[in-house]
Amino acid sequence: MDAKPEARSTAGKPLALDPTDIARLGSMSVRARVIVEGAFAGMHQNPHAGSSIEFSEHKEYAPGDDIRRIDWKAVGRRDRYYIKRFEDETEMRTFLLVDSSASMGYGRKGVTKLAYASYLAAALAYLLAQQGDPAGLVLFDEKTRQYLPPRTRGGHIRDLLVALEAAYPAGRTEPARALAEIGEIADRRSLIVVFSDLLDAPAELADRLRQVRSRGNDVVLFHLLDPDEVELPYDDVTDFEGMEPEDARRLLVDPRDLAASFRRESAALRERWRQTCLESRVEYRFATTEEPPADVLRAFLFARQKARR
Amino acid sequence: MHFLAPSLLLGLIAALLPWIIHRIGRRRARPVRFAAMELLLRAEREVSARRRLRDVALLVARTGLAAALPLAFARPFTEVRSDLPAVTTRSQSAVMVLDDSASMRRRLHRDETPFDVAKARARDIVDHLSPDSEIGLLLASEGSSAPVAELSSDRPRVSAALAAITASARRADFAAALRRATQMLTSSTRGERLIYVVTDLQATGWEDVSPTMLAAGPEIVVLDASGGAPWSNRAVVGLGAEPAPEEGAQGIAVVAEIANYAAEPVRGLGITLRLDGAEVARGFIDLPAGGRARKRFVHSVSGGARQAEVVIDHDGFALDDRRACRVEVSRGLRVLLVDGDPRTVRTEDEVFFLEAALRAGGSNFAVTTALPDDLGTRDLAGFGAVFMANVARPSAAVAAAVTRYVEGGGGLFISVGDRVDADSWNQTMKAVLPQPLGLKRSAAAPPGARPEGETVDLRPAERLAPIDRRHPLLAAFPARGEGLASARFFQFLLLAPVPEAPGRRIVLRYENGAPALVDAEVGRGRVLLLTTSVDREWTDLPIRPGFLPLVQEAARYLAAAPTGDVTATVTVGGKREIVLGSDDRRIEVVKPNGDSRWLTPPAHTGDARTRHTVLFDETDEPGMYRVRAARADGTVDDRPDAAFAVTLDPSESDPARLADDKRPDRARAHGAGGPAPRRRLELWHALGAAAIGLVLLESLLTVRFRRGRFKK
Repeated sequence: MDAKPEARSTAGKPLALDPTDIARLGSMSVRARVIVEGAFAGMHQNPHAGSSIEFSEHKEYAPGDDIRRIDWKAVGRRDRYYIKRFEDETEMRTFLLVDSSASMGYGRKGVTKLAYASYLAAALAYLLAQQGDPAGLVLFDEKTRQYLPPRTRGGHIRDLLVALEAAYPAGRTEPARALAEIGEIADRRSLIVVFSDLLDAPAELADRLRQVRSRGNDVVLFHLLDPDEVELPYDDVTDFEGMEPEDARRLLVDPRDLAASFRRESAALRERWRQTCLESRVEYRFATTEEPPADVLRAFLFARQKARR
Repeated sequence: MHFLAPSLLLGLIAALLPWIIHRIGRRRARPVRFAAMELLLRAEREVSARRRLRDVALLVARTGLAAALPLAFARPFTEVRSDLPAVTTRSQSAVMVLDDSASMRRRLHRDETPFDVAKARARDIVDHLSPDSEIGLLLASEGSSAPVAELSSDRPRVSAALAAITASARRADFAAALRRATQMLTSSTRGERLIYVVTDLQATGWEDVSPTMLAAGPEIVVLDASGGAPWSNRAVVGLGAEPAPEEGAQGIAVVAEIANYAAEPVRGLGITLRLDGAEVARGFIDLPAGGRARKRFVHSVSGGARQAEVVIDHDGFALDDRRACRVEVSRGLRVLLVDGDPRTVRTEDEVFFLEAALRAGGSNFAVTTALPDDLGTRDLAGFGAVFMANVARPSAAVAAAVTRYVEGGGGLFISVGDRVDADSWNQTMKAVLPQPLGLKRSAAAPPGARPEGETVDLRPAERLAPIDRRHPLLAAFPARGEGLASARFFQFLLLAPVPEAPGRRIVLRYENGAPALVDAEVGRGRVLLLTTSVDREWTDLPIRPGFLPLVQEAARYLAAAPTGDVTATVTVGGKREIVLGSDDRRIEVVKPNGDSRWLTPPAHTGDARTRHTVLFDETDEPGMYRVRAARADGTVDDRPDAAFAVTLDPSESDPARLADDKRPDRARAHGAGGPAPRRRLELWHALGAAAIGLVLLESLLTVRFRRGRFKK
């Protein structure tokens, strides 16, 4: 294992390692644990003490509530009547869909988008394993390249992390097909988490998200972009060429001429997907690959915790 | 296009540099595999039009700059066909006659005048004459001075003199200008001698140019500065004032004569009368085609000198659309007639004819008759003029009163007769007599001669010599003196000879040379001495037509109150003699534009009776000229009585064009023909300016696009 990199601290925020620091860590399992620890350090919850991404909670009794669901232990402790809200005791299956197309291999200064997606997926898988929830993995480009079904057995998390570690960028972006396949497999109330840059993603993806969501699955879309794909901070005349196979597009241009317009187009892309997700009741999370993954994970968990209260 | 240094055109290769640099820059571009190609291409589509425009603009600016510099250094020029006469290319001695007459100040289009065109053409000729040529510069207006009076090779000096010339308001006189130009060229040793006349070809001013003058002189080249457009003009060509009895005692009539030089009649032309600058009346007038009409404005005014101006609606030539004159209104002028030979028979009375003449209709004189003895006790200050007719022997008291009156500014008319005692007059009235009285003389008839055309009185008689109308008294008489010329003088007094004095003038003479009427200034006043009688004893003048205007004008003249404006009007370029009052030390003349000029009379002999005058000759612009006098006590007062109007010569208003056969360049056999010359048009100055412009444009584009980078 490499020397442990220094943790970065921002004002009022918990320690969180940059993606480049994360990349220096020895293995995916270590990276996953560091990210999860960093994320929960900010939530004041111990990830090893049975915390769940599905929280149960109490509600103060009000007339009309079912008296059979009064938590008498809480009454004894607090001297108040609390209704124990329904806590789903059933197993929640999670599918982690990681876009491993060629475009996900872009990363000029920091880590690639694929690496960043792997870190987040690994952290989530680690967290779910800690809770005993089964997590599966789908690596896809224009087709499903690798599929590990959700399991809870002992070696599954290790296989999953190894698969993420071995992921490489290739092929065209086609998240719709992978999502359709998982939609067929997933039970109701499965959690489907998609990591993709959504560049060149077909409009069909929006329909597929809506379709999967309508089947009762909880869908989260992590939209990951490199900072270059947000700001276009190039200085010299550059000969841009496409990354994906069969993409023969080229553009010789002074990027400074296009920066302002590019920023608008990039923002429009993000806004378009945010609106699409909002209309389909899909959770949309955007992150650039320079943000600490722990921060992204924490924000995700915190938002879900808040939403379920 | 031609080049003075064509080898430097090799530098044009540098024009390829921007393109080469552009290509190299593209080749050295770093290849980058980029995922967000779709976003990039969208952004490119958004800015591509402006970016390409910018790139093209920059490439053009840089290429243009790289090309302009070697092009400019190669000093390109082209040859264009010149509109100047072919003769300008020849080595020559030339005199430029520039028409600066009033008509050159009319408006052609917008604010350009023929004079502007003429100056530009003259400048072209001066600039394009061969370097070894010499040139002089004359003006065509009457009485003008020569800007460059001798032939000169100093081109900058000629150009500067040309630039300083402004158009005058004077009449053109091409005969004088051509004579002077010919004279200047006689000093030249060159074979080629030319006179360039730049003019609007108005016929006015060419009247005195004779074919013989043209045939003998140097070759003349006429350049037309009229702009080619026909000129339609209306002008105020005359202005005068007269009493208007129908308006009462205060009435005057200002009569303007308007000329229409157009072939079409004019209806409802606006015409305005201004008195002392204030608009007092406005009317309209119809003018026949090519004809004239008079407009009579009747107005009531108080007495004194007034400035009248008539203005018509403006046309292209504004200078003749107004005319000014001085109006002197003599109201209730009181005249005292001293009857030295009263008779019971009215018609035989000494002052009968005088009184009849002064009381004639419309003259508005208040006539009082008195006897000589009354003069000593009567206050004369209220009378504008006193007529002493055939008074025998003025007493000392009378002499003192009259002398005081005259020296204080009064006017005295003395006529003689058989009762006059010359010695007594010479003794007592010496102070006011223009000349001592001499012997009585009777006209001697030639033997056997009979007065021609006379049937009533066959006595031998003298007649008057031809009159000199320059004197104000006689200005209103016809040139031959009709009305006076027929008068016969049977007897008259001779006057004792005296040295000439500035204030004394012989107004009328008999044919034998003896003075008939003498005018003299005495103190601040004036005396007229008639050496014959005003009744029919010594002359039949009182029954001649000229007697009435002579007496009335004499009364007004003595009272310094003529009604006419004739004497107070000068044509542009003329001279105005201004008489100083006894207290006046200096005279200031204020021009219409406000400029003023102080005039000091020449030193005098000390004789109190010497008449002081100053001569003003800067009558360059039409309008009213005010006169102010610096008194002995240091004060400066207006002299409205001395104000005068300067008017445009009406012939300058006539747009008639000089006939082709009268043109000096066409009347001659040898014209200024030949192929039109070509002149070099240097282009490198423009290229240099273009290079500077391109540098600025390139800098602007670079800074703007580097900083702005297509921000929306």
